[in-house]
Amino acid sequence: MNPIGLLRQFIQGLTSDTDPRQIGAGIALGFLIGLMPKATLTAQLLIVLMMATRVNIPMALLSVLAVSLANPLIDKLSDPIGYALLTSQALQPFWTKLYNMPVMPWTGFNNTVVPGGLALGAVLLAPVYFAGKRFGVFYNEKFRERVMNSKLVKGLKASWVFDWYFKGAV
Amino acid sequence: MRKSYLLPRLILLVLVWAFFFFAFDPLLKWGMIKGIEKGAKAKAEIASLHTTFLPPSLKLTGLAVADSKDAYRNIVEFSELAFSAEGKPLLEKKLVVDNASLTGLRFGTARKTSGKLSFVKEEPSELVEGLKEESKAFALDRAADVKTDAVKDYKVDPAELGSVKLAKQLEENYQKDYKDISARVDTKKYEAALDGLKARYEKARGENNFAKQAKDYAAIGKDVKKLTSDFKKDKEEAEAALARAKDSFKAVDEARKKDLAAVMSKMKLPSMDTQSIARMLAGPLIAEHTATGMKWMNMARKYMPSNSKGVLKNEATRGRAVHFPRTESYPTFLVRKMSVSGELGTEDPLDYKGAIEGLTTQPQVYGKPTTAVIKGAKGARRLDLRATLDAASGEVKTDSRLLYTGMPVRQLQLGSPSSFMVDITGATGAFEGSLKTTGEQLSGKAAVRLTGASFKPKADNIKAAPLRSAVEASFAGLTSALIETGISGTVKDPKLSINTDLANALSKAFSGAMGAEVKKAREEAQKKIDEALKPYRSKLDDTAAARQAELGGRLKDAESKITGGGEGLLKNLTPGKLKLPKFKL
Repeated sequence: MNPIGLLRQFIQGLTSDTDPRQIGAGIALGFLIGLMPKATLTAQLLIVLMMATRVNIPMALLSVLAVSLANPLIDKLSDPIGYALLTSQALQPFWTKLYNMPVMPWTGFNNTVVPGGLALGAVLLAPVYFAGKRFGVFYNEKFRERVMNSKLVKGLKASWVFDWYFKGAV
Repeated sequence: MRKSYLLPRLILLVLVWAFFFFAFDPLLKWGMIKGIEKGAKAKAEIASLHTTFLPPSLKLTGLAVADSKDAYRNIVEFSELAFSAEGKPLLEKKLVVDNASLTGLRFGTARKTSGKLSFVKEEPSELVEGLKEESKAFALDRAADVKTDAVKDYKVDPAELGSVKLAKQLEENYQKDYKDISARVDTKKYEAALDGLKARYEKARGENNFAKQAKDYAAIGKDVKKLTSDFKKDKEEAEAALARAKDSFKAVDEARKKDLAAVMSKMKLPSMDTQSIARMLAGPLIAEHTATGMKWMNMARKYMPSNSKGVLKNEATRGRAVHFPRTESYPTFLVRKMSVSGELGTEDPLDYKGAIEGLTTQPQVYGKPTTAVIKGAKGARRLDLRATLDAASGEVKTDSRLLYTGMPVRQLQLGSPSSFMVDITGATGAFEGSLKTTGEQLSGKAAVRLTGASFKPKADNIKAAPLRSAVEASFAGLTSALIETGISGTVKDPKLSINTDLANALSKAFSGAMGAEVKKAREEAQKKIDEALKPYRSKLDDTAAARQAELGGRLKDAESKITGGGEGLLKNLTPGKLKLPKFKL
């Protein structure tokens, strides 16, 4: 995803892709990305997944930001989970195999907060999705119109670049 | 295909290409410069940096790092560093270099622009400052005024004496240690355990089943032996701990010597012992070089491999990295061989070359020590450096040896401008040094022999004419000198011992010219210090004696109870005391 594409999806997310399920999925995926250390291939692949699917990008990005800010606290939970997983005798052959595979070390799987965050994210993904979906309904009812009528969105929609690039897709 | 589809993708490709073509190398160069400047606390320059991706390689030219203490001098510079990294390990997030080359490595070169960094302040080294102060305080300027009466008038304030402060501190520490040791030797615990064993014995004695009784007796016997041996072990440990605590009192004698030197200095009386003179002469120079060496060592230690055997390392900014066994082991960073060449010295430099092998951040994975061998020769000059760093198992150990003979020493100044200085010119020097480290511990020695030198004492600060003449005469005709240094202690707190035959010459001059007066004054000052220290020293010794007697008494009582009681029990447990059934035949 290129920077222009990211901008496009961001603007698109403000105006379209606002189905409560898309908002819920965006928040859940953003939550998972937020748990990961960003300088790992795992986080980068999740970002690619976020961009490639029709989830609500602005909500996903806000979710990433919020969770990232809370990382020092969340790490206190994800670190021991990851440590328990990485030092588990039963999983030792699996981790050792991954450790010896090319490219895999770039995923940062041997950092306690990566498997810990993935495990925590997997457990909380469904509750976060449903909570996000409910928030989506609330957003559509209370805020969507206000966002659509905001000066920023109106200005963007009126510009010729926007018109040319989106071809009226929004 | 639509333009709106192609154009953004084309722009992205151009941007990526432009980043790697125009921005990657400058950004890497900028990052390296900032990193080096942070470590060296002085400006660093890199003339050019070029990287390639296929194959992965780096070429860095013209690196110069300024000296934080001398703005117009480079602490180190080199002409070129080049290496190519292996591709496969890169996929595993490892940087493995088979052959690297470092050329034109030079130290202490002049620079045209100032290398001082704004807003960066170098913390002064305690070792250097201490020895500089000692050298500065070495009193010679008013040696003519030495009068023992002046010493009589001098009042020693116990509160200002280091030995008194230390004695007070030691007494406090001793009381605390005694409390800890006393708490550790809980005699009641043993007495209760012995009572428990006695009760078990009484119960076993009333047992009708002989087999069970024998089994119980055997178990009780085993427990009695364990109890007495545990008590003996605890007793020995307590006595040893108390003896160790008392051993620290020896430091008071050292502090007393320093107090004497300080009082002598305050009264402007010169010290006569060769150690003090040697420290005054060669201390600042040696400390300066040692501090520079330590600074580099501490910087290197930051990048030195961790000696932790466990899988867990705190190397990630978030979380912890857990490492697993490797089937094909590549350390995270490895340079198998780096050829090094350069020049030593600025005037008539000596060319040298050599190699560093096994440079790695994970020696336990690599399994071999890092070694460096550098050699150089020019005319009569010889350079030989051998160093090893072994962190493959357990503690990090280093062993290095440097031999540099035939080095020209055009000018060398020893001493302090405020007390006494000697200019050494036209000498040929031979340096031999060795240094070993085991973990934090340091041990090493170095010796510099100067031959064919001319010694010119600067004795203007010595007002006393006979002393000045004696000092000047002691250097007349002198052509050689030996300066020896021993280093011990820890990396954070190194201790230096300095000896030089120049100090012997000076000591003789001092003794000959005014030894009697100084000796008398010294004795007088010592007497005053001892008088001031006496009550505190006595209190410390009395406390130690009383506490030792108290603990000794308690341990003796407990020993007689536990060992005596235990032995009594053991006697009763002998098979002879078992009533065997009688059989009528």
